[in-house]
Amino acid sequence: MSPKVEAPTRIYRWDLDKTYLKTDFDTLRQLVRTAMQKAEDKKAVPGAAALIRELRADGRSRLCIVSGSPTQMRAVLAEKLKLDGVEFDELVLKDNLKNLVRGRFKALRGQVGYKLPVLLESRARAPADSEEVLFGDDAEADAFIYSLYADMVSRRVDEKVVRQVLEAAEVYPDDIDRVLTRWASIPAADPVRRIFINLDRLSPPASFAKYGPRVVPIFNYFQAALVLMGDKHLTAPQVVRVMVEMVQTAGYNLLTFSNSLQDLLRRGLPVTEVTQALLEALSGPQAMVQLVRPVPDIITAFTKRVAALGAAPPPPAAREVDYLGLLDDARPRNHKARRRPE
Amino acid sequence: MAEPAPAPKPPPRPVSIAFDVMGADHGPAEIVRGAVALTLGNDEIHAVLVGDRAAIDEALSQVRYNAERVAVHHAPTFVAMDEKPSAALDAKPDASVMVAARLVRDGEADALVSAGNTGAGVLACAKHFGLIPGVRRAALATVYPTAATHGQKNDPFSLILDVGATVDASADDLVAFAVMGAAYARIISKNLDPTVALLSNGTESSKGPPRVVEANAKLGLLSGMRFIGNVEGVDIPKGTADVIVCDGFVGNVCLKMLEGVSETVMELAKYAYKEKLLWRAGLAMLSGGIERIKEVTDWEQYGGAPILGFDRLFIKAHGRSKARAITNAGKVAAKAVANDLARAIQDALPKVG
Repeated sequence: MSPKVEAPTRIYRWDLDKTYLKTDFDTLRQLVRTAMQKAEDKKAVPGAAALIRELRADGRSRLCIVSGSPTQMRAVLAEKLKLDGVEFDELVLKDNLKNLVRGRFKALRGQVGYKLPVLLESRARAPADSEEVLFGDDAEADAFIYSLYADMVSRRVDEKVVRQVLEAAEVYPDDIDRVLTRWASIPAADPVRRIFINLDRLSPPASFAKYGPRVVPIFNYFQAALVLMGDKHLTAPQVVRVMVEMVQTAGYNLLTFSNSLQDLLRRGLPVTEVTQALLEALSGPQAMVQLVRPVPDIITAFTKRVAALGAAPPPPAAREVDYLGLLDDARPRNHKARRRPE
Repeated sequence: MAEPAPAPKPPPRPVSIAFDVMGADHGPAEIVRGAVALTLGNDEIHAVLVGDRAAIDEALSQVRYNAERVAVHHAPTFVAMDEKPSAALDAKPDASVMVAARLVRDGEADALVSAGNTGAGVLACAKHFGLIPGVRRAALATVYPTAATHGQKNDPFSLILDVGATVDASADDLVAFAVMGAAYARIISKNLDPTVALLSNGTESSKGPPRVVEANAKLGLLSGMRFIGNVEGVDIPKGTADVIVCDGFVGNVCLKMLEGVSETVMELAKYAYKEKLLWRAGLAMLSGGIERIKEVTDWEQYGGAPILGFDRLFIKAHGRSKARAITNAGKVAAKAVANDLARAIQDALPKVG
C-alpha cells in the first residue's frame, strides 16, 4: 500500500477593512466612528465569515490577517472575529503610534512598506510547500502589494525592480533593507494561487487586468466561493453555506446570485463546470438550500444567465506584471504624485 | 396591554429593466453607462443589457458598475436608425430590440428601454406584448415644457399623447388615450387628479372632426376623470391641461412644430448675441432666466416617451440620448413598474363603457 500523500497546507491571507469588514473611513468622522465602534457593532462583508469558516473547515489550513488598522484595535477586532466564529492564526496590525513617535509620517499612510515585510516574514514561517490565497480590496494597494509579494517569492521579479518600487512608494531605507533581507532568506517557490480583490469601491474589474489572471476582482464572496470551488478549495455544499449566510445577513437573492455568476463567466473565469456541479449538488436532498430559493428556480436562473451569453469567452491571458509602469497603484490614493483618474 | 409592534415592511420587489443597448446615435457605451448608473443609484433596480456582448463588455470595462445588479443578454444583430422597421425585424428576428421585448414578455425583465429605431421598438412590442383589455391601439406619449406647473411635484411640463404611434385614431381610441395619459400622470408625476383635454381647433365641444366631437361627448360622461373639454394648440405651451389627447398624426405635427419653434428661438438669440453689443448686454442680463428655461426644456431630464396601451411597458428614449437621459428613462420605467401602471390603466378603463 502506498503511503498517503498529504495535501500541502493552505494559507489564506486576509486584509480586514473593506475586505472582511464593511468599513467607511473616507472622512475624519467615519474614521473616528470606526475607531470607537464596539465589536458587536462592526459588520462583516456578507459571506466573508462563512467563506473563512468553510476554508478553515479541513482543520489544516491557516488564516493570517494583515491589516492597516492600528494595534490599539486588536482586542475589538479579535472579539469581532470571535463573534463571527472565525479563528485566526496570525493577526498583524499596524503600529502607527510607533511611526508617529519616530516621526515616520510617510509610514502612517504607506501600505507597501508596511504590508510587504509582514507578508514576507509570515511566509518565512510557513511550510515551504504551502499554497496561498490572498484576499484584499480595491481601496488602496492590495492588488499591487499581493502581486509583488507573489512574484518576489517566486523570483519572477528582480531586486532592481523591487528596490525601485519601494523607493517610489516612499518606503524608509531601513524598511527597504528589511524587505530585501527577509526576501533573500525565503526559499524560491510559487505558492500564490489566487489574489481576490473585493470591489468595495466598485472599480471596473478590467482595471485589474494589468495584474494578470491571478488577480480576480470580485463583487461579493459568492463569486470568490465559486472560483475557489473550481480550484478545489471548497465543495458545492460549502459554497451553498456561503450563499445562505449572504441571504440571511444581506438579503441576497436569485437575481443577485445569478448576475454574479454571469459576471464571472463574462470575464472568462472557468466556472462553467463548477456551476454544473453546484446545480447538481443543489438538486440533491439539501434542505438548507430551500432558504435560498426553491431549487428548480435556482437551476433555471443560473442556466438562463449562462445561456444568455452565447459562446464562452476565452480565459484571460497570462501576462507579466509591469510593476514600474504601475507605480501609481503603490502610492496612497490621495498621494500628490498619483495620477488622477480621468 | 401594549399594542403589538407593526409588522416590518417587506423589502421592495426588485425591478428589472431590459435596455436595448444597440442602434442609438451615440453607440452602446452611452446606453450601458446610463443603465449601470441607474442600478448604482437604486438598490432595487436591475439592468439587463441586451445587445452585442463584446460591445457591452467593452463599455462595462470603462465604468463603475455593480455586477450583482447587471446582467448581459447577447443579441447578435440590431436595427439601425435608417432601416425600415418591418422589413428589418423580419430579416433579423434576433435583433436586440426583439430579444429585449421577448425577455420582457417572458418575465425576465419588467420593462423595456430603447433609444434605437422607434418603429422597430413599437413593432417589437406589438409582436411580443399584448394590449391591455379595453385598449385597441397603443399611444406614444411625451412631455412638453409649459408655463404652468403640474402635480404635487410642480412639474413644469404636460403630457401629450399620441405623438405618432396611431396615425388614425377613432373616438374610442382617443378616450382610451385619455385614460392612459391620466393614469400615467397620476403615477409618474404624482398628479392625483390630472386635468385632461382634447386637442382641437376650438374650445367648443362641437369643434373638430367627428371623432374628436364624439370623443369629447364620451369623455364628458366618464366618471373618475377631470376632463376639461377641448383646448387649442396655443394651450399646449401654456400648460392649460395636464394631459392633452390627440391622434398620432396631429400630435406628431404639433410636437415637431413646437420643437422647431424652440430651436428657432435659440437661433435668433444666438444671432442677437452676435449682432449688437446692446442686445448682447441684454441677453447677458437675462442669462439667469435663459438658464432656467434651458433647465426646464432639457429633454434629457424627462427620460423618454412611454408607449402606453401594452400590458408591458416600453419607454422610447430619444435617439440622441446620452447616459443621463437613459438613466432617467430607466427611472421612469422602474417607477411605472413599481406602481403597476398597466393595472392602473386597466382599472380605469372599464368605466369607459
